[in-house]
Amino acid sequence: MASNFIPKLAANFTKSTLRIMGRGATTLPGKVAIKISPNTIKNAACGKKIITVTGTNGKTTTTHMITSMLRDLGYEVITNVSGANLASGVATTLLCEKPSKGVSKDKIVYVLETDEAAFAKIAGSLQPMVSVVTNLFRDQLDRYGELTHTRNLIANGIDKTSAKIILNGDDSLVASMGKGREDRSTFFGISLGTMISNEQANSKNTILEASTDASFCPDCNTRYEYKARFFGHLGHFVCPCCGFETPNKRFEVKFDPSGNTSETGFTFVMTDNDTDKNHTMSLKIAGSHNIYNTCAATSAVTKFLEIDKGVSEDDKTFFEKACESSNSVEAAFGRMEKIKVGDKNICILLVKNPVGLDRSLSFVADSKDADSLMLVLNSNIADGKDVSWIWDVDFESKAKDLPEKIYVSGQRYGDMMLRVNYSGREVDGYGSLDYATDLLKAALKDCPAGKCVYILPNYTAMLDLRGRLVKGLKLKDFWKE
Amino acid sequence: MEKLIIGHFYPDLLNLYGDRGNVLALMRRAQLRGIEVEVKRISIGDDVKVGDIDIGFIGGGQDREQNIMADDMKNVKGPVIKQMIEDGVVFLTICGGYQMLGKYYEEHDGTKIECLGALPHYTKGENERFINDTVYEIDINGVKTTVVGFENHSGRTYLGEGEKPLMTVIKGHGNNGEDGTEGAIYKNTFCTYSHGSLLPKNPAITDMMLSIALKRKYGEDYKLPSLSTETEDLARKQALEYIG
Repeated sequence: MASNFIPKLAANFTKSTLRIMGRGATTLPGKVAIKISPNTIKNAACGKKIITVTGTNGKTTTTHMITSMLRDLGYEVITNVSGANLASGVATTLLCEKPSKGVSKDKIVYVLETDEAAFAKIAGSLQPMVSVVTNLFRDQLDRYGELTHTRNLIANGIDKTSAKIILNGDDSLVASMGKGREDRSTFFGISLGTMISNEQANSKNTILEASTDASFCPDCNTRYEYKARFFGHLGHFVCPCCGFETPNKRFEVKFDPSGNTSETGFTFVMTDNDTDKNHTMSLKIAGSHNIYNTCAATSAVTKFLEIDKGVSEDDKTFFEKACESSNSVEAAFGRMEKIKVGDKNICILLVKNPVGLDRSLSFVADSKDADSLMLVLNSNIADGKDVSWIWDVDFESKAKDLPEKIYVSGQRYGDMMLRVNYSGREVDGYGSLDYATDLLKAALKDCPAGKCVYILPNYTAMLDLRGRLVKGLKLKDFWKE
Repeated sequence: MEKLIIGHFYPDLLNLYGDRGNVLALMRRAQLRGIEVEVKRISIGDDVKVGDIDIGFIGGGQDREQNIMADDMKNVKGPVIKQMIEDGVVFLTICGGYQMLGKYYEEHDGTKIECLGALPHYTKGENERFINDTVYEIDINGVKTTVVGFENHSGRTYLGEGEKPLMTVIKGHGNNGEDGTEGAIYKNTFCTYSHGSLLPKNPAITDMMLSIALKRKYGEDYKLPSLSTETEDLARKQALEYIG
């Protein structure tokens, strides 16, 4: 058997060196190891219990939730840092992250967030027990290419494994991956009844439909008919030509659509249709999209427990255990995290793509504690150089419900200012990142006690803001990595 | 009260890179002037007749989506679109929509895909994609204006007889990276590679299109009420500063 001794040594040496130099070491050690031996990941993954999470949105949150839940259930979990989700980051995690001493090997689980394209390359080497696909929305198309291409990449990756796959049944692109893989597919999603009432509750103020993805069935090029939609192209779809539709979901969520999903603690019921068990759950990280993430994580943990412990006909406790463990979840880096500044709060919501911005705007519009909103738009390579995507988002339907004060910053604050303006709202302050701290200070000054300033940055804007806020507002470095 | 009907062609298939923002810009700058606006979806299965719309918009799509609508555009709506263009209906077409109005698209392996042939340009596919912030200059009734946008295309378009370029390139590649031209203009049809979205940051083009459409509908004496471009100008200025 090939040995990983030298690549592992090199990776750990690189890591120690970087640490001495005071630099993060989340990807370079793995890069060095892969350079030495292309089989690094395969060798390192061999014999390990692995869960992967891929998809365009919700990867970090879902990975974070699964990690927290499995820890609560007594597993030792090793996971990769948000963003370190390419082959190099996964290799670094496998080689350099050490379990606590004395933990028995069968108690150790690796929960790995995996970039969509990287998944295709490394899935065969990882041989995960369980693979989750959260959803597929348009990302920066100049970087990732077409959505159907991304879908096919993930499907190819799955075929190199014998993993049980946990698929979003409400996303036609993801659900279609279950075709021909029925025996190992488990679907999750929101119940049709809930979606119908939700759609009625939400049908307001849209003057021009947002740019949608996956409107047509890929097999017969016919427009899907929707019995109901939740958001974006997620909904109960039916192809009138071939009959392909939202599959029967094993794990389903029901809730009262008049409730406010922007509030932490929002309650919903999750059902396991295989065991006919219902469990009332409370949303640990607010936001309607986090209902999907919670559902994905609970589905994955249930499935993992069934495989790991071995399911007997009458054992219905795994689902219950998974649901209960979700109580342990707290917000992740840059996602719905509230940071105290005196008696006020700031909350940062990372927005990377149109559906992310759409959900975050909706979230802020429904948040009772929202006093002001700050949108921060950059256009570095990691963000996508093209900022056109802000026009794909339906701002118009939320504009009236957004906080009274809106600020814009970032390299492309002019574009964002105009986007806000065209939705019928004025901005109260604008400026480049050099002014971001001043704008935020102004927002905080006006903010009453107990209320919150919501900040929506894209990726490099968030990284940039982090340093400025720590310095400018004299905060502790509150971001954990 | 004046009313404009905007025909949004294939919005569920051709909706890349914020092209939807162009429809929003037309709506907004018309509505702020008290002009009523209706947007009609004209996609597969929807009917359109000559005379139905005052402004047509065709954006660009992903390959798969463009393949789905190509037949419908050529065989079902093609003759109507051609007639409207000849009649002088105002059209804005971006990227894929621009290419599809031309004679053909030649892929790099030499395969020729026949297009609508409403306009005489043709396009050749290349491996290298032009992905850039862009700056152009447009001449509207003798007034030269700087236009800012973003291009993302692998096709190289060459204009034909009777077509003029819409703009000249200051920064970026434009139609083909060779001749300094960007986009095309034929009668009242405006074609461009510029996303951005194009119209929000460049209100001179929005207003030109609105004015032509309203004059066609309400007579040559119709005068588009003036409307501030302060916010748009500020956004364009900042984008220009950033692009450098």
